[in-house]
Order: sequence, then C-alpha cells, then structure tokens
Amino acid sequence: MKKAIILISLTILGVYLIDIFTGIGFGTQHFASGVKDAYLIGSKETLRVSNVVTSIVVNFRGFDTLGEVTVLFLASMALGGILYKKRHDVGERSVLFPSTRIVMSGAKLLFPSIVLLGAYVFIHGHLSPGGGFQGGTIIATGFLLMLITYRNYSVSHNRLSWVESLAGVLFISLGLAGYFVHDSFLANVFPEGKLNDLFSGGVIGIIYVAVGFKVAAELTGIIYTILHEKD
Amino acid sequence: MSILEIIGGILIVIGSLFLFLGALGIYRMPDVFNRLQAGTKATTLGAMSLILGVGFLMPGWILKILIIIIFIAYSNPISSHALARAMHLRKRFMYFKNEEIDAYKEIDENNKQVK
Repeated sequence: MKKAIILISLTILGVYLIDIFTGIGFGTQHFASGVKDAYLIGSKETLRVSNVVTSIVVNFRGFDTLGEVTVLFLASMALGGILYKKRHDVGERSVLFPSTRIVMSGAKLLFPSIVLLGAYVFIHGHLSPGGGFQGGTIIATGFLLMLITYRNYSVSHNRLSWVESLAGVLFISLGLAGYFVHDSFLANVFPEGKLNDLFSGGVIGIIYVAVGFKVAAELTGIIYTILHEKD
Repeated sequence: MSILEIIGGILIVIGSLFLFLGALGIYRMPDVFNRLQAGTKATTLGAMSLILGVGFLMPGWILKILIIIIFIAYSNPISSHALARAMHLRKRFMYFKNEEIDAYKEIDENNKQVK
C-alpha cells in the first residue's frame, strides 16, 4: 500500500516535471538576454576572468561576498563565545584512544600537501573551478586531520584571529580603494592583464586569496573550539 | 590502434573488474572487517590499474597519474588501518562472535611492552 502511494505520487511528479522540461527546449533563448550577456561577455571582455562564476561572486556581486564572509565571521565568533566559557576547566583534551604511529606519520606527511592543494584552489580561483571558500575549507580539513590525529596539537587562537583580521582588512581596503579611484565600492583598481593568465582579473585574484585565508582561519577556529569542548 | 592503447584498454578493464568486485564485496560481506578487506584491497588495485590505463591512453598525463597512484597507495592503507582499529577498539568482533580469536590484541599488548 505504502509502495503504491509512493509510486503514484512519484509518477504524478514525474509527469509534471516532464511537462515542464519539454516546454523549455534546450539551446534556445527563453530568458531576457540582457543580464546574462552582460555577465557572460563582461567577465571575459572587460574583467578578463575566465571563470564566470568567480567574476559574478567577487566582482558583480562583490558586496554580497563581503556579507557572506561577515556571516561566517559572526558565526565563528558566536560559537567561540558560547563554547569558550567551558574551556577554563579543561586541562587536556579528553581522547579515548590515542592514534597509532601509522596514522600519526601519515597525517604529518599528508598535511602539507592538503594545505598546498587548498592554496592552489584559492590562488587559481579566477581561472579554474574553486575559489576562496573552497580552498579555505580544504585547508581547514588539513587542520582537522592534524587535530584529530594528535592529541596535543594546538592552534594559536591569537595567530588565527590575526590572519582573519588581516584578510578582512585586505578585502575592505581593496573595496575602499575601488571607491576612491573609480567611485564605486570594490571597483577594479589593478590592470586586467591577459585572459587565462595567473595575474589577470585585477582585484579578483587578490580578493579570493584574502577570502581563502579568512575562511581557513575561521573554520579552523570553529573546529578547534568544538573539539576542545568538554561535555 | 597502437600497442599503448591496447595495454591501456586491458588495464582499464581489469581495474573496473576489480572495482566491481570490491563493490560486490562491500554489499555481500557480513561484518565490518570483511567489508574493509573487500573494499580496500579491491579498490587499491582497481583504482590504480584503471588510472594507469588512462595513463597509457594519454601519455601526456603520466606525471599526474603517478602522483595520483602514489596518493592512493599512501592514503588507502592508512585510512583502512584507522577504520579497522577504531572498530576493534569499539569491541566489534567478527560476525561469528568468537571473542577468543583476537590476534590484534596480542600485537597491541606486545607493542605496549616494547614501549
């Protein structure tokens, strides 16, 4: 009975979906082309960025990205504020069983390559898929590996907040530089360069490096705070 | 069709066969340790020979492929070791529930004595 109901509802859903998708017609123009063309052509011709998503996220919608980074910053700060009180009575992290030597040396060897991959992803954010958020998350997974492997591995909160603050200041000062030079926040102040070059796209690459550092520092702080919580 | 393409195709077929057997083993085996055995052994060989086959088909990518093979050969045993040890520490035994057969315990105790 249950299966029959599921089958019938799935059939109804499928019929409606087929009805909708046959009406679209792939390869033909259906939407207002002005905005789309502005993005697709503008990112290649004027900004010289080959990754269109990056050009939208960082340049056309750069202010939104600043808001997103701020949301992440506030989330990590609130988590730290909630969990920080409990940390006074914790001497050492309680780990049930320590890792074996195999896992320890493996993690130690793997950690630099994870960080390198993350740095590659956010440095090439304007050329290939990926970007600041993704690269920062990859770096944070490297720190997560070290934190769950080594019992005494500690990340300096001071240093993390320095990195985070400097990255945020870099982002905002680039935006203000655009405001003072070209009269709009986050406008491009550097030369665009050639398409598909590493130093292309003006401020976009630099902003993504800043976002990468900021996200990596914030996520590492969140992981560190959660792992050191005593329940 | 050159000789390189034939070798690459054979390697890819072998690799996909081993990957299929690994998936079948994960589906069919009764407990965690058996599944780990099927999964890791078969996927190590399967993924390696599949990627090596791609390397024979595309000789320009051989450096990247060697790096990927080193990564698989390096990370897969470590992660399966950690999984098996975690399962052992959680007191999950083989499916026939004979707690007297526990070879790892002896190794562990020997290690403690050495330290």
